[in-house]
Amino acid sequence: MAKVNGKVFDLKLLGKLMDYSNPYRLTYYFVLLSAILLSVFSTLSPYLLKIVIDDYITPKDYDGLVFFSLLMLLSLILEVVFQFIFIYYANWLGQMIVKDLRVELFQKLIRFKMAYYDTSAVGRLVTRSVSDIETIASIFSQGLFMIIADLLKMGIVVAVMLFVNWKLSLIVFSVLPVILYATRVFQKSMKRAFEDVRKQVADLNTFVQERISGMKIVQLFNREVIEQNTFMGINEKHKKAWLKTVWFNSIFFPVAEISTSVTIGLLVWYGGLNVIAGGSISLGIIFLFIQLSQMLFRPLRQIADKFNTLQMGMVACAHTHNSFKRLKKRSRFGIVIESAEPREPHHFSCLFGYGASAINPYMVNEIIADQVQVENIKGIDADNAIQNFNKAIATGIVKVMNKIGISTLKSYRGAQIFEALGLSEQLVDSYFCNTATRIEGIGLYEIEKEISRRHKKAFDLEGLSGLDLEIGGEYRWRRNGEAHMLNPTTIAKLQQAVNQNNFESYEVYSKMVNEQTEKLMTLRGLFEFSSFDPIPIEEVEPWTEIVKRFKTGAMSLGSISAEAHENLAIAMNRIGGKSNSGEGGEDAQRFQPDNNGNWRNSAIKQVASGRFGVTSHYLSSAKEIQIKMAQGAKPGEGGQLPGPKVNPYIASVRNSTPYVGLISPPPHHDIYSIEDLAQLIFDLKNANREARVNVKLVSEVGVGTIAAGVAKAKADVILISGFDGGTGASPLTSLKHAGLPWELGIAEAQQTLVMNDLRNRIVLECDGQMKTGRDVAIACLLGAEEFGFSTAPLVASGCIMMRACHLNTCPVGIATQDPELRKNFKGKPEHVINFMYFVAEELRAIMGQLGFRSIDEMVGQSQKINMKKAVEHYKAQGIDLSKILYKPEVEAEVKLHNTQKQDHGLENVLDFKIIKAAHPAIYRKEQQHLNFSICNTDRTVGAILSNEISKMHGAPGLPEDTLSLKFTGTAGQSFGAFAAKGLFMKVSGTCNDYFGKGLSGGKLIAQVPEEATFKADENIIIGNVALYGAVTGEAYINGIAGERFCVRNSGATAVVEGIGDHGCEYMTGGIALILGETGRNFAAGMSGGIAYLYSADGIFDEKKFNLEMVELEDLTNQDKETVQGLLQNHSDYTNSSKAAHILNDWPDSSKNFIKVMPTDYKNALAMLAAEEENKLNA
Amino acid sequence: MGKLRGFLEYDRIKEETIAPKERIGNYKEFTIAPKTEELQEQGGRCMDCGVPFCHSGCPLGNLIPDFNDAVYKNQWEKALHILQATNNFPEFTGRLCPAPCEEACVLGITNPPVSIELIEKYIVERGFAEGWIKPQPPTERSGKTIAIVGSGPAGLAAAQQLNRAGHTVTVFERDNKIGGLLRYGIPDFKMEKNVIDRRLEILEAEGIIFKPNVEIGKDISAEALEADFDTILLAAGATIKRNLPIPGSELNGVVQAMDFLPHNNKAVDGQLERNLKYLATDRDVIVIGGGDTGSDCIGTSNRQGAKSVTNFEIMPKPADGRTEENPWPYWPFKLKTTSSHEEGIHREWSILTKEFVGDAQGNVVGLKTVEVRWKKVPGDRPQLIEKEGSEKEWPCDMALLALGFTGPEKSLPEQLSVGFDKRGNVEGVKQYQTNKPHVFAAGDVRRGQSLIVWAISEGREAAHQIDTYLMGVSTLPQKEASGDLVSV
Repeated sequence: MAKVNGKVFDLKLLGKLMDYSNPYRLTYYFVLLSAILLSVFSTLSPYLLKIVIDDYITPKDYDGLVFFSLLMLLSLILEVVFQFIFIYYANWLGQMIVKDLRVELFQKLIRFKMAYYDTSAVGRLVTRSVSDIETIASIFSQGLFMIIADLLKMGIVVAVMLFVNWKLSLIVFSVLPVILYATRVFQKSMKRAFEDVRKQVADLNTFVQERISGMKIVQLFNREVIEQNTFMGINEKHKKAWLKTVWFNSIFFPVAEISTSVTIGLLVWYGGLNVIAGGSISLGIIFLFIQLSQMLFRPLRQIADKFNTLQMGMVACAHTHNSFKRLKKRSRFGIVIESAEPREPHHFSCLFGYGASAINPYMVNEIIADQVQVENIKGIDADNAIQNFNKAIATGIVKVMNKIGISTLKSYRGAQIFEALGLSEQLVDSYFCNTATRIEGIGLYEIEKEISRRHKKAFDLEGLSGLDLEIGGEYRWRRNGEAHMLNPTTIAKLQQAVNQNNFESYEVYSKMVNEQTEKLMTLRGLFEFSSFDPIPIEEVEPWTEIVKRFKTGAMSLGSISAEAHENLAIAMNRIGGKSNSGEGGEDAQRFQPDNNGNWRNSAIKQVASGRFGVTSHYLSSAKEIQIKMAQGAKPGEGGQLPGPKVNPYIASVRNSTPYVGLISPPPHHDIYSIEDLAQLIFDLKNANREARVNVKLVSEVGVGTIAAGVAKAKADVILISGFDGGTGASPLTSLKHAGLPWELGIAEAQQTLVMNDLRNRIVLECDGQMKTGRDVAIACLLGAEEFGFSTAPLVASGCIMMRACHLNTCPVGIATQDPELRKNFKGKPEHVINFMYFVAEELRAIMGQLGFRSIDEMVGQSQKINMKKAVEHYKAQGIDLSKILYKPEVEAEVKLHNTQKQDHGLENVLDFKIIKAAHPAIYRKEQQHLNFSICNTDRTVGAILSNEISKMHGAPGLPEDTLSLKFTGTAGQSFGAFAAKGLFMKVSGTCNDYFGKGLSGGKLIAQVPEEATFKADENIIIGNVALYGAVTGEAYINGIAGERFCVRNSGATAVVEGIGDHGCEYMTGGIALILGETGRNFAAGMSGGIAYLYSADGIFDEKKFNLEMVELEDLTNQDKETVQGLLQNHSDYTNSSKAAHILNDWPDSSKNFIKVMPTDYKNALAMLAAEEENKLNA
Repeated sequence: MGKLRGFLEYDRIKEETIAPKERIGNYKEFTIAPKTEELQEQGGRCMDCGVPFCHSGCPLGNLIPDFNDAVYKNQWEKALHILQATNNFPEFTGRLCPAPCEEACVLGITNPPVSIELIEKYIVERGFAEGWIKPQPPTERSGKTIAIVGSGPAGLAAAQQLNRAGHTVTVFERDNKIGGLLRYGIPDFKMEKNVIDRRLEILEAEGIIFKPNVEIGKDISAEALEADFDTILLAAGATIKRNLPIPGSELNGVVQAMDFLPHNNKAVDGQLERNLKYLATDRDVIVIGGGDTGSDCIGTSNRQGAKSVTNFEIMPKPADGRTEENPWPYWPFKLKTTSSHEEGIHREWSILTKEFVGDAQGNVVGLKTVEVRWKKVPGDRPQLIEKEGSEKEWPCDMALLALGFTGPEKSLPEQLSVGFDKRGNVEGVKQYQTNKPHVFAAGDVRRGQSLIVWAISEGREAAHQIDTYLMGVSTLPQKEASGDLVSV
């Protein structure tokens, strides 16, 4: 704080300070008024004196003299009165403000972090909060108001002088510059001097205070002499600082005094001569001027002095003010964390997220070094081991950043992308400002308690058990470790229940789960039902109706075995519930029921960012289509399937290459806004008109707003997915630290939708570790009307929570593709059905108690839930669940559950016209050629048509080019989306975004109109994100495509004359032939398929490629044949002059191509070829 | 952790044994230690389950996946630390435990389970061989004194725990040597007695005071004990033998297994001359009771040179494997063939002994039986129904009654005026604490006859409770029952 502020007088700071006077505004104005009157009266007396001298003494008028003398007396009395008022209230105001200021300062002091006190001396703080504040007070009492009063006085004096005699005035004013200059110099020097004084006073205080309070220690360590000497040193400095101010004072005041005397001398000299010469100047005027000039100079001198007072106050104030806004100084320094605590990626992510610049996790480093030393870690030295640890943590942090969507640590640092669960608002405000904490919870006291408990435990363990530390149990269940909801007993009891159809065993299970959740494991555990209003259970709707609202979670074929996947589907189809395909596509053989009556078709077909196997046929077989915006268990992450699990069968279902690992991209490349989502919903609705479109969201802050948007985007169902759960394949950071419980999300979504009267249009679904009827009941009361289960049905099918799902070694044949292990799968549909039955029955019992006859009646009746009063754990005391349990007050006609269907506005879709005309082709496979004009409001042309073809003819569709459609004009978005095989769709004109989305075997052509005058290969003809998730089929584009061309293409062949950025991203199959520019970041994440690129001069800029996963190669002869064939097609279909040009020059022009080949793909192809050869040899 | 696909690569192994014909020539243990690499492979079979049912199925809560992994990585000392964190005497359980953990092993759903007990045994044997198992006397003494009555596994486990917490522990044993059933109930061929002795050396070096040949209630009065010690732990076992009250049970040659076996153990120990009354040599021996004690009688009879050995069990022959009534991971009632059975036995099931037949001298010469079947009654215990016309008479000149125990002896608890539960066991009002706050009970005396592993568990838990009672808080480890397979 010894830093000198450059500005002499900081107006802003003063303004800030003046804010503190706001509560006392009346007094403030009163003081100002008395200051004005004071100046008036103090100037009045000398003026009266002048009148007395000139008009009554000199002419010797007695009566007049008495009258004016009385007048003067009155004026003096008034002056004294106002002086009194002014001084009293100015000081009073100062004290009031200081009182407030001090309270606030002390509050800040109390809340500063402990570390602050490690570096700030106590005495200095005392000085600042006691004497500095005092100084601030003097700003008001002496400084500021005095200055104002004095300035006023001076103004009046000057006015009077000029009024009376301008010549004399000029004489007086001639000295002013000298005084002003001297004042200014004095003021600047004094400021510096005072700052020094402040510092020295503080140091002195600090020293004395600390030594006195620690006198015992001083004496114990025999430091008396040393301390004495130090004190003398400090005292000396203190003296010097004060002496400096004395020095300035001693110079300034004489200078000022001399100036005054000189002025008076000049006045007397000039005025006296004038009087004697009988000029216009009277004696009275001279008296007046002498008095007035003194009145003018005194305040001037005083102002300098007052300014000093003000100055000291300012310095103190700047300190306190800066403390107040301390966070705004953040960019000036770095924060290095040195702590024993950080050890997991989450810890590091949190620290960076809250602003750490660097972290020294010394404990982990020490442990690693120790492990190396005792040879538990072998073959590496400690430094490299720590280096490896750091690398691993960094990868973890990158993963977390990737989830959030932040690319650089710089942007992530301090971004605070967290929601606190169970922290008190006070704690969050002090330490994690602006972090949302909706359920309140623990504060510093509880945190301290927890830390000291753990600390104590670590030391207690020593010697009494063979272990230095407890074994833990965060990620693996251990008896004395972290509690898990699914533990040996609950798993065993559930399996026993479903295997033996034993409801008693289920009751043991559900009782344990429900009671366990009360041990602070879930929010719902803190709830209890209230307002019982029992009805006979027979009146509650039957379990067979209830289970129709039950679903199994989205677990892809690939993450779990075909056996387990199909088992769930068969079970759910039998009871009229819905199973979910997950994002891995589905074998078309499952779409029709088997001869034995089993139906392995998943009622819900998921459409995730990877779009694996999303074809017209796949969508057509759905009862519900789910757009996975995110996963509750691992928000922000796509699915991930490690290479070993991608066996040829899985690969075929997903249209990918065997043994190449699959990562779903985090975002949907066709969704960047809510309008895009609405478009995708429209596309899918076209692809299957009977299916409901479901949008899966995760529970998070603001999900209510998102849900409202999604409802307006015409989704039929919204799924709010909670954070519990996730398979053993989920990354550990996601398992423990990502997402929020569904209780928060479903409550927020319900409240928002009801308040906006959108709830009736939408079905609200909820999932995330639903395990019992009680869970379902709570979800329902909070607003859900359909319910998803994942882990529990898997456990019912035999899952024993191995938590090794990513390792392909699941011993019970569920999360594995190993044929040997899959034989171990013992689950039966009956097991899953039994589970659903048990849950429904438990739910019915609760419904009966609460008085609900149907789920519809029960939805959103959150008044039936209370927060449990009985929760005694010290950590549960501060939790406040009222925000979750809030039930919006709305008009009676506003519905709390789904009552109507969305209006998707499909009736005007162009496809219906086409279908009408194309009857022979669609139903009798006759060749047809039809022409239509098209306009940009014709969106998703071809999807309904394809839906009809898929329903009719299944995956094979129609023979090639059976139905040939020619459109003229500008096609709207999603032209040719999911176009099925047998369709030939040609646009003469241009196309909007999403051209050929999910292309499913059709042929799409975009051709520049014949009458066009521009060059096709220099102009954009189709929009962004063309052929996203295309599965099979061909596309020929006579012009340039926008950005993100062929993203996640898994098998389509496309020819285009140039593309924008991010071409062929995440591509896993198919061929892209690009005859022009490619933009930046080409082939990012491309793990399969081939791209051929042409450049007229055969030169390619490597910077434009993302070479992480691909290699650039020359064309083989076989490649050249392929390219030549494609060029011929392109030329035939589109009349492309560029294609014709290249072909004319063949084979010379063939040298100007390169091939972009994904490394993994190449290896996998080699592996498959070798396998094939082995088979032949055998 | 562990080896990723170890369970697919390696098969379960058992310890090799000396051939039955050879081993029945003496009373020595007859197992042959596997090679270290073999044991490591066995540890590598562990799948490191997310929910380790084995750990849950073990009454002690042994940290099985953790020590399996350490063994797989050849970190034996670490494995020992992990093992001893929950188990005071792995050398006893490693030899004698029926291993509920292995029945709960997840691998056991589809394959032979991980050989957990084998690994446990060789971890602790390695520990003794390497000298890693050392006395750990407490650094400070609390000044509190505790009397433990009974020196079986429960008493010893409690003694070690309490001593480590700094209390001064005195263990009273009415027999002439410390060990309870471990010493005189378990035949040497299952556990040689030096295994107990080397552990006792450790315990003594840690500062535990042993007083054999002292029977509380006779040599020292209950009042005196209460006066001299701050707390008393009853760990006297459940020693009342079940009788077979049928005609002829008083005949010579009808012998309680728990008289027969201790006599043999003392003879093997060289403490006494063999009494003909307890000698099976050249006799037709029928062992009544198909449990572990029965099995011990068979092994001992064969070693004594019995002419024939037959075993009767009243229950029907169990299935070879798990049945639906006993789903994984619970303990299955399935056919068990012990090493003693391998040494020569004729086993009969569903058979009820009706009468012992004696000769003129009052010696047993045969017994009469009838076949039975069990009728299931919903909601009630199954009913025993004799099959008409299935009566049979068996030649027999020695009948060993291995029918189990009915409960603890009453006199000492009565002298201490502690209460009993409905089954006649000493009642723990608050878990291990009886109605008299300073008297605690653990082991068979409290829970009725049970496994060694339960006895050790009870001893440890009681120790925690006693320590809490004495000091207000306890740092002795205690297991949590939540989610525990054996607790529900």
